[in-house]
Amino acid sequence: MIPREHKLKIGVSGIRGEVGEFLTPSLACGFAQAFGTYVGAGRVVLGRDTRASGEMIQHAVCCGLLASGCEVVQVGILPTPTIQVYVGAAGSRGGIAITASHNPPEYNALKLFNRHGLFLNHYERSELIDLYHQSDFEHADNARIRRIVSDVETPKRLHFERVLHFVDVERIRKRRFRVALDGVNGAGSLLSIEFLRDRLGCDLHPIAVDPSKPFPREAEPRADTLGELSALVRRERCDVGFGQDPDGDRLAIADETGRVIDNDDVLALVVDSVLRRLSGDVVVNLTTSSAIDDVASAHGRRVYRTPVGEANVVERMRAVKAVIGGEGSNGGIIFPAVQYCRDSYTGMAFILDLMASDGEPFSAMAGRLPRYWRLSGKMDFEHGRLGMLMQNIEEALLAPVIDRSDGLKLIWPDGWIHVRASNTEPVLRMAVEAKNEARLRQLHDRLRQFWG
Amino acid sequence: MSAPNSLRISHVGLRGIVGSGLHASHVLDFASAFGTFLETPGAVVIGRDPRASGVMIREGVVAALLACGRDVVDLGVVSTPVIQHNIRRLEAAGGISIGASHNAAEWNALKFFGRNGTYLSTAEAGELLDIYHLRKFQFATYDRLGSLRRLEDGVDWYLDRLAEVYDFQALQGIRVLADCTNGTSSLLLRRIRERFGMDIHLINAAMEGVEFAHPPSTTAKMVALQLAPLVTLVGAGAGFLFDVDSDRVAIATEQGEAVSEEMVLPLLADHVLPRSEGKLVIANLSSTALLDEVAARHGGRVLRAPVGRQAAMDALASYRPEQISLAGEGTGAVMLPQFRFIYDGIASMLGIVAMMKERGRKLSEIIHSYPRYSMLKAEVPLESTLVPDLLMELRQAYPDGTANIADGLRIDWPGRWFHIRVSQTEPIVRVICEQKGEPPQKLFDDVLEHVRRMA
Repeated sequence: MIPREHKLKIGVSGIRGEVGEFLTPSLACGFAQAFGTYVGAGRVVLGRDTRASGEMIQHAVCCGLLASGCEVVQVGILPTPTIQVYVGAAGSRGGIAITASHNPPEYNALKLFNRHGLFLNHYERSELIDLYHQSDFEHADNARIRRIVSDVETPKRLHFERVLHFVDVERIRKRRFRVALDGVNGAGSLLSIEFLRDRLGCDLHPIAVDPSKPFPREAEPRADTLGELSALVRRERCDVGFGQDPDGDRLAIADETGRVIDNDDVLALVVDSVLRRLSGDVVVNLTTSSAIDDVASAHGRRVYRTPVGEANVVERMRAVKAVIGGEGSNGGIIFPAVQYCRDSYTGMAFILDLMASDGEPFSAMAGRLPRYWRLSGKMDFEHGRLGMLMQNIEEALLAPVIDRSDGLKLIWPDGWIHVRASNTEPVLRMAVEAKNEARLRQLHDRLRQFWG
Repeated sequence: MSAPNSLRISHVGLRGIVGSGLHASHVLDFASAFGTFLETPGAVVIGRDPRASGVMIREGVVAALLACGRDVVDLGVVSTPVIQHNIRRLEAAGGISIGASHNAAEWNALKFFGRNGTYLSTAEAGELLDIYHLRKFQFATYDRLGSLRRLEDGVDWYLDRLAEVYDFQALQGIRVLADCTNGTSSLLLRRIRERFGMDIHLINAAMEGVEFAHPPSTTAKMVALQLAPLVTLVGAGAGFLFDVDSDRVAIATEQGEAVSEEMVLPLLADHVLPRSEGKLVIANLSSTALLDEVAARHGGRVLRAPVGRQAAMDALASYRPEQISLAGEGTGAVMLPQFRFIYDGIASMLGIVAMMKERGRKLSEIIHSYPRYSMLKAEVPLESTLVPDLLMELRQAYPDGTANIADGLRIDWPGRWFHIRVSQTEPIVRVICEQKGEPPQKLFDDVLEHVRRMA
């Protein structure tokens, strides 16, 4: 049971909450009006995922944007990365995607983009939240209220064009891969069919691709939520299976045996695929596997690490002009040549391209990656005890390298521990990685002792 | 520019200048209150006039109603009567009309309707206001939200209802010129022309969101501005001026005369009373006394309510449908017996054309067949604190007349009356004075002198 105070969050990460008593239309409208005031009277792109409250929130947001003097460009139900590509290309002042991403269906949220289609950075977000609290919104009068226009075709076309520019489409089409897809009835459902079947010539076996239906499984694509996909892969003897989240930014992959591959390994494969043909460095978050370091160094490339969060990774990628990046832990692949955002379509295209060029089964490709053992989990903690807890861990475990840029990361030559407080839930997230199973157990046990 | 404090939230709904008085947040909260207030199951029917701000307001209204778990049926840009008829058609729980009727383009407003498309009673409107002020709204959980659908044939369904009352075939042969004030009447009249072949010519027919060709009020002055001079030019038998949401109408004769807006109600009463079972006419205290004279000819009786739609609605609701003949205001908003609670300028126009047909006479002849009444009107700024003293003083100054204090003060003498009341929207008092025959200049000046001394 999520405590009441966590059912609505309005802060620097925007607005998110349980629809009904908590996330109300007035709050969504007010926040959108603050956003419209912040970006200024101009075009703002508005799209959403398939969750049931999307339509209601869309009208509230549209009202707030119009009230602030913005013109609203409705793109309808689309994946978040598709919206971000379009915002960056459409000459708009910004964009809003109505989606709570991988959160349960009763939640909804606004993802806010600047005129480049990027998540607002930390400074922009704190300015926006101040403006929201001041309630000093722009209120357009009748003569300055602009219209709603809609453009449902261009975003998809732009997104597909950009992604497919970077892979050998003909080579992929020739292989006519048998592909399983679990679209979680999300925003990508229809696009993914077109992308995989029509553009990439796959022999597609889709499930959960009806955007009018509720999510048939937990929204986050993980090994324990993708049982149907694994079974489908085995039943249809597919080469690979793709699992998306409701707004199409996250991707999980099952190999030809139906086993869901670690997201860290998926990211490592994509990084390898990109570095084979493009030169540049790599940015990932602190919780991402060391496998990335091995892959990058094989290409003579550097890996930068940032605090967890897409915005943090993107900011660093822009600063160091990285060629590829992502967040291994949560299935996010960020390829700036398409857009600075997590994008399951880039992921799917690169993986198919890799399979087409190497000609090996997916499990064999994944098997060639440097082997690491991983564990992750979450723990409750008492409010006010977090600092003390972190300090105790740091003093007791005595690691040679310590990174405090996001919680606490303790690094040994043969493994690491990362502990941090979640931004969205009242829990502590922990991740442990080691080069062998014994070391993993050892590190994990030492960490667990702090919770008795 | 825009007046400060233009926002007005009352029993008749929500009204203000968009941006400076009426904000998105008011719309969201008031529509959420309405969604919470409604008890009967069913959808909510909405529509709007062509003002640019109407789209913004619609989005807010839709969001709030969906959040309350209500399905919404959007009729698009239509007149208020079209919304009311479609509430009945769909057996909806209620409806909302987005539009500021006779106010300038920068205004907008929400009007609320209950089951059967009736305006809310004062008791219901009071409950709605309480919910609004409490701001405790009943929002549905994510899996019980409403959904929105567009209904494209709302206008045709409405016209079918009009066709049940008026034989459009019988109305052929009289050319009509209409000034649509860039509002919704244009779309209704075009459709009538298309479907029923009435000879209708339109001016100011483009529906505009930002600028109207002239202020949208249905006064004789506005009739004289563009409509009246053109009536003779196009050889029309009658001219009709509509406000933006088509509930009010004013008229011009085939001679190009701008007729006082006060004439619409007596004219229709004369036509409707002989053929309606009910004999009561509901009007307000400021409407012309000609109405009493016309009603008396047909054995009817005039019931005078305080000025304002809410008082008229309450009066209307206190009688059985078969007791009422018609209801209306001096502003040209009239409800015909077949369309209970629906003030409809288009229906009024059809009534007047039907009357011309039936009598086989020109509109100017009909108008001039009535005895002449002359009305004088003025507005004087006055602080609200001084109003009770003023009313007391006037009552003492005219002890020989019959006083009515239901809404300010009205004093009647045979063939002569004055009514003084406080505006509901501005700190002014309105003085209206009428006399059979010549203008009551002396009485009018005397009353105004009292007011000015006080101010």
